[in-house]
Amino acid sequence: MKHRIRELPESILIFFIVLCLLMFIIYPIFEVLTYPKAKDFVSILTNARYMRTALNSLLMLCLSTLTATFIGFIFAYTVTRTNVPGRKVFKFISILPLFSPPFMVSFSYIMMFGRNGLITKGLLGLDVNIFGWQGLWLAQTIAFFPVAFLVMEGVLQSISPMLEYAGRNLGASGPTLFRTVTLPLARPGVAGAALLVAIQVLADFGNPIMISGSFSVLATEAWMRVEGWADIAGAAVLSILLLAPSLIIFIVQRYWVGRKSYVTVTGKIAQMPIQKTGKVMKCILFTICALVSVLVLLVYFGLIVGAFVNGWGYDWTLTTRYLTEILTRSKELVRSLSYSAIAGFASSLFAMTAAFLVSRKKFAGRRFVDFTCMLPAALPGIFLGIGYSIGFTKPPVDLYGTAAIIILSMVFWNISTGYQTGIGAFQQISPSFSEAASNLGAGSLRIFREIEIPLIKGPFFSSFIMSFIRAITTLSVIVFLSTSKNSVATFSIMNLVSDGFYGKAAALTCVLLAVSFGTIGLAKLLFGKQVTFFKV
Amino acid sequence: MAESHVIIRNLSKSFGKTKVLDDISLEIEKGSFTTLLGPSGCGKTTLLRTIAGFYEVEKGEVSIGNRVVNTVPSHLRNAVMVFQDYALFPHMNIRENITYGLRIRKTPAEEIERKLEKTVSYLDIKNLLDRTPGEISGGQQQRVALARALIMEPEVLLLDEPLSNLDAKLRVSIRAELRQIQQNLKITTIYVTHDQAEALAMSDTIAIMKNGKIMQVGSPSDVYYRPDNAFVASFVGTVNFIEGTVKTSSEEKVEVEANGSLITVREKPADRQIRAPRPGEKITLSIRPESIKMLENEPEDENSFRGTIKNYIFEGSSIRYWVNALGRELIVDVFNPPENALHAGDICFRIDSARIHLIFQES
Repeated sequence: MKHRIRELPESILIFFIVLCLLMFIIYPIFEVLTYPKAKDFVSILTNARYMRTALNSLLMLCLSTLTATFIGFIFAYTVTRTNVPGRKVFKFISILPLFSPPFMVSFSYIMMFGRNGLITKGLLGLDVNIFGWQGLWLAQTIAFFPVAFLVMEGVLQSISPMLEYAGRNLGASGPTLFRTVTLPLARPGVAGAALLVAIQVLADFGNPIMISGSFSVLATEAWMRVEGWADIAGAAVLSILLLAPSLIIFIVQRYWVGRKSYVTVTGKIAQMPIQKTGKVMKCILFTICALVSVLVLLVYFGLIVGAFVNGWGYDWTLTTRYLTEILTRSKELVRSLSYSAIAGFASSLFAMTAAFLVSRKKFAGRRFVDFTCMLPAALPGIFLGIGYSIGFTKPPVDLYGTAAIIILSMVFWNISTGYQTGIGAFQQISPSFSEAASNLGAGSLRIFREIEIPLIKGPFFSSFIMSFIRAITTLSVIVFLSTSKNSVATFSIMNLVSDGFYGKAAALTCVLLAVSFGTIGLAKLLFGKQVTFFKV
Repeated sequence: MAESHVIIRNLSKSFGKTKVLDDISLEIEKGSFTTLLGPSGCGKTTLLRTIAGFYEVEKGEVSIGNRVVNTVPSHLRNAVMVFQDYALFPHMNIRENITYGLRIRKTPAEEIERKLEKTVSYLDIKNLLDRTPGEISGGQQQRVALARALIMEPEVLLLDEPLSNLDAKLRVSIRAELRQIQQNLKITTIYVTHDQAEALAMSDTIAIMKNGKIMQVGSPSDVYYRPDNAFVASFVGTVNFIEGTVKTSSEEKVEVEANGSLITVREKPADRQIRAPRPGEKITLSIRPESIKMLENEPEDENSFRGTIKNYIFEGSSIRYWVNALGRELIVDVFNPPENALHAGDICFRIDSARIHLIFQES
């Protein structure tokens, strides 16, 4: 009898989690998949525009993934395996874009390198058109190489330096050593990184909407269908075209590459000095890293300058009016902050609870919860956005134009990161801690309060901050759900840029950046090593 | 005397402020098996890696076969190392691992095949060639690592605690095998370990290190029976130290008074360290537990004393006693003990006067 009483709240919790996942992840996906009729699917083959858009997406997928992964690898190799000067600076700079809205790269490059660009026109007097696939390629490379860097830094770091020493000891050196030992060992990591970048490139909405001009990709074309022709069925079809490769890449990345790894956890990685890199190699690596770092820093420089000049391209006098206007009168900013805070908290609480249940309890539907919590990582933001806009704007659940629909989309789009953090944390907290506490006489409530909660605090906080930042910087998820009553800052920036109000858009972007960097800085200051971000 | 193959002269090295190698000089004979023995942090691994060329020489000189190699990079030294955790390449199979070095050297394929054949049959790992390092046991990995080094026909073979990841039984059997291989190939070998039993069993020469300095270089029996100082005596095997004052000193014997008793030392003058002891000086006696013999009756002759058993452990081939005698606790090993051996009470014992070693205050 006692047994049942203890399990009752647990069952309710499991029921609640499963219900939420069904309602807010599975149902919207189902809605998108079933919305178009057969003739809409047929139109993929007959509509030349769809075909061209799909090919454009494929082209960008190849180009941007290739360059972003390559640069990510150069950075990771330089930081972990060489004695090139400035490694710490390179690492710091390459992490910055991870905490920033992705579209910001395009926006800033339009200001720096566009027709009225500060560098192209102002400095060099050139007439350059950055709009199109070249601009998009550059922007996506800079926006997504940090993802590749982070993955490969981890992989390269965990390859025992002893293996390189062994290769050297057996007669290999320089390029031979790199070709026969380092690179083959890193290959699974490189593949994993490339696939993660590919998912991001494919789903990218912010960069193409700003910079690609008439060169449309699947994500932007779906948005055009709705904006221009109110053709929701067409948008649904396009987003399904987008989902299919994302899902395949996601599955390959998780279940195939994930297993084929040479990472050896011996626990005893000898402290061995890094062997000196050859002079020529050192110069090449340094030059590439420095060049890319400058391109990253230019993004921020452009935004800051943009926020403080009167009229971009014609009136370079300084002003604070845009910033004042944003800080005093922007409803969108207030919404961004409050929605993201609520969504971040709810998302990480939900994710941690699900992670706790999956890693500590046995119940029917455990695999379903595990899979569904990871699924949003594979969903392009616009796909989920369209799902919400179809599924939750009609009875019985009509949330059209409400704060709720934005917040809910943010919550469930972000659960994967928090969930992964949670699973990792619970795996590290050995059940023997609880067993030891129980053995020493602590009751189950006390164990939860004194053992589990203190140990999970750090991961929970990290996931809260990550969810918050992802929510405040997202555009793709909320673009289909925004109306004048619930639009947030990123949506407003998109409209301002397309209408040419660069000053106000830059000011708003700067404030978002300040908020997200400020949050990270504060968290690091207050909690130090307890919080870690981006463990991929 | 055979020629020196590896010569280390006044070698010093620091990591930050800690001095890990402090003015080390050592000559290693061609074809010998030399062990660097010492507690962790003594600098033995650093010395080995410096010989391998992984660390730069800061001060001093390393030469291999009459060639100073201070500035020769690791891949051109042909001083091949077997790593502690083997460092087998996980992305290659066993065949590729073993032949890696020869392929880097661009050795012709037939020659590689011939050498591979010879090496693997020697080490009995022929059936493993197509597997990957993850699929074979620790002992097998150990053999593969050794094969990968031996196939290079290195000028010097370097072994960095290669047995420490194996279980106790395997360790003992591979120990003998490794020694056998080294003897057959007559390859100059430098071996690093913190296990004194391993060092005693395998080496021609042992260099005992502490805090970046070499404390003693000698044959296994030198360091065991004639340690230069208390550190060597206590690090190699178990030892009893008895401090006393020299009463008489002659060619034939030395008499030392300790805790009111007179102990006679008949160590050969040739084995004495430094010089003859002087009457009246303080001196330490180093006595191995097996050099003390339990007596059944009570003969009142030279070096026999009374004591009380405080504790004992049964170790199979022997019993180790802790005996209160001469105002201290002595460790006594009795080999081939009778089944009804004493476990408590008063006993008599005699110290073998020929096996007492004198350690002078100044060393």
